[in-house]
Amino acid sequence: MAQLNPDLTAAKETGSAPVFEAAGLKKEFDNGQVQALRGADFKIADGEFVAIVGPSGSGKSTLLQMLGILDRPSAGTLKYRGQSLLDLPDPAAYRAHEIGFVFQAFHLLPTFTAIENVQIPMFEDHKSRLERQTRALELLKSVGLEQRVNHFPAKLSGGERQRVAIARSLANSPSVLLADEPTGNLDSVSTEQVLDLLSTLHRDRRMTLILITHDMTVAARASRVLQMMDGRIVFDGDPAKLSAPKPT
Amino acid sequence: MTFFEVVTRSLKRRPVRTGLTLLGISIGIAAVVALIGLSRGLVTSWSSGMKSRGTDIVVSNMRGSLTPKPFPASTRDRISHVSGVSGTCTILVEFTSIENAELMIVSGREWGCFAWENLKIVSGRLPKDQNEHVAVLGTSAADILKKKVGDTVQLETEELPVVGIVNGGAFVENGSLILSLPLLQQITGNQNQISAIDVRVTPGSDIQRLCTEINRLLPEGRADTAGEHVATGEGYRVINAMSWGTSMLAVLVGVLGVTNTMLMSVFERNQEIAVLLALGWRRGRIVRMILLESALLGFFGGVVGVLLGVAGVQLLKMAPAVRGMLEPYLGINLMIEAVIIAMCVGVLSGLYPAWRSSRVAPSVALHG
Repeated sequence: MAQLNPDLTAAKETGSAPVFEAAGLKKEFDNGQVQALRGADFKIADGEFVAIVGPSGSGKSTLLQMLGILDRPSAGTLKYRGQSLLDLPDPAAYRAHEIGFVFQAFHLLPTFTAIENVQIPMFEDHKSRLERQTRALELLKSVGLEQRVNHFPAKLSGGERQRVAIARSLANSPSVLLADEPTGNLDSVSTEQVLDLLSTLHRDRRMTLILITHDMTVAARASRVLQMMDGRIVFDGDPAKLSAPKPT
Repeated sequence: MTFFEVVTRSLKRRPVRTGLTLLGISIGIAAVVALIGLSRGLVTSWSSGMKSRGTDIVVSNMRGSLTPKPFPASTRDRISHVSGVSGTCTILVEFTSIENAELMIVSGREWGCFAWENLKIVSGRLPKDQNEHVAVLGTSAADILKKKVGDTVQLETEELPVVGIVNGGAFVENGSLILSLPLLQQITGNQNQISAIDVRVTPGSDIQRLCTEINRLLPEGRADTAGEHVATGEGYRVINAMSWGTSMLAVLVGVLGVTNTMLMSVFERNQEIAVLLALGWRRGRIVRMILLESALLGFFGGVVGVLLGVAGVQLLKMAPAVRGMLEPYLGINLMIEAVIIAMCVGVLSGLYPAWRSSRVAPSVALHG
């Protein structure tokens, strides 16, 4: 496995630093005409389940992409376990081994079966073909899809696709899961199944789970909520104390 | 699943587009195989013809043309005494249409010289002497002209009885009409003119040294070893250059086709590439994936192109202009060269699309 930084491994083992620590985080587009983030400050501890809520355009997805280094801030600092994410020598290794992504639109590769989709992230982990296959099968079993391993995404229901995507996000045993509206395209039954699965992963694997949602019932499952508005965090605390946002 | 399977799966996604792109490359490669095969065949056919006659050195005036220019037969006297020369044979070669054959080799050979020795009689006989107004046909020439012993063949204004069908042991020899040198000189009006002197050397002689010595004695001609005779001629070089030029134009079309296909593929897969980046794939792996896809297109295009080229050459062999005159060269070297060219085409065509793929901004593409 690619090593990010020896200090990071130590921080991970001792839990001495927050998983994420942001200060004055800003993001501008179109030469400053659009300000997606206007100075976000927060810390997320190891093993927390944090829901980020807010209306469309409030900066939730931009923030999540920065946590995954899919985008870079215009200003401010962002640290992962005490190390600046902006100075990481190998962002790909960070994405491959430290975090897992789950998307609203699943983003499964259509020409690959469920088990093949789960193997995709493992190519950067230098596992053998057999190891990849075995690991992918284990993960699909863990999300209850052992009967669907050889199905292509088009033959799976929305809930099944999202469970494959969750299995894929766990391929390289990350410590953080970043989920961008994971239930946004699901019916109520599938939403419950996926949320149960995410909650179980958070509890059993002690993963840090950061989840974006519009749905306050989904946010209620988190231990903490960050509410965003116009690029700022306007609430940070217990979900029970958050007033329902206006519909968007 | 291996990385290679990931790559091949992408190619199978759009089978029609992949197939058409393969066809585009394969046509270019088929042109390489056919044209280069024919031009190299020219060299190998003539070289094997000379070897079959037992010729070690050919003295001719090939400068500036594919066919030798006539020169005086007496020139032979200036080299026949050179140490190491064991025998000489003066020859006049004409390329002319004979009856239904648009182009045929007509070879007039000095009577009694070693160039007659390799001719094995299949039917009939050889001329009785140099003054007999008759001709013999190589086996392929007889097939092309549909002649047998006892028929006559029209050469310019002369009607010559065919007295024998011979096997010369080489494609060029078998595709020729052969007669005595004086008879051909008389028919073509080239009295005392020849177009080549075939030289046989004594065993153990240094052939290169002999060529140098002959070139010193005959500055107006040129002596080459039998294997190099055609290949070093300017005419052949022009043909070879034209073959490569034409082939490369066809290959360029293939390059544009693959580039277009790979670019479309990259644009279509922007979001997928962004997902792969989000899942931890390095940009280098994405670039490798695209390059491997285009290299595979090139490889399979090359293989199909070689098959098409071989089939095309078989058809070209039947064309009146080359029938019986040259055996196209379709050696394994040419096939490997063609497939390597095709793979280079693939990689070259994939460079820009691969670069584009490496520039995908995941944050933008994932929202696209």
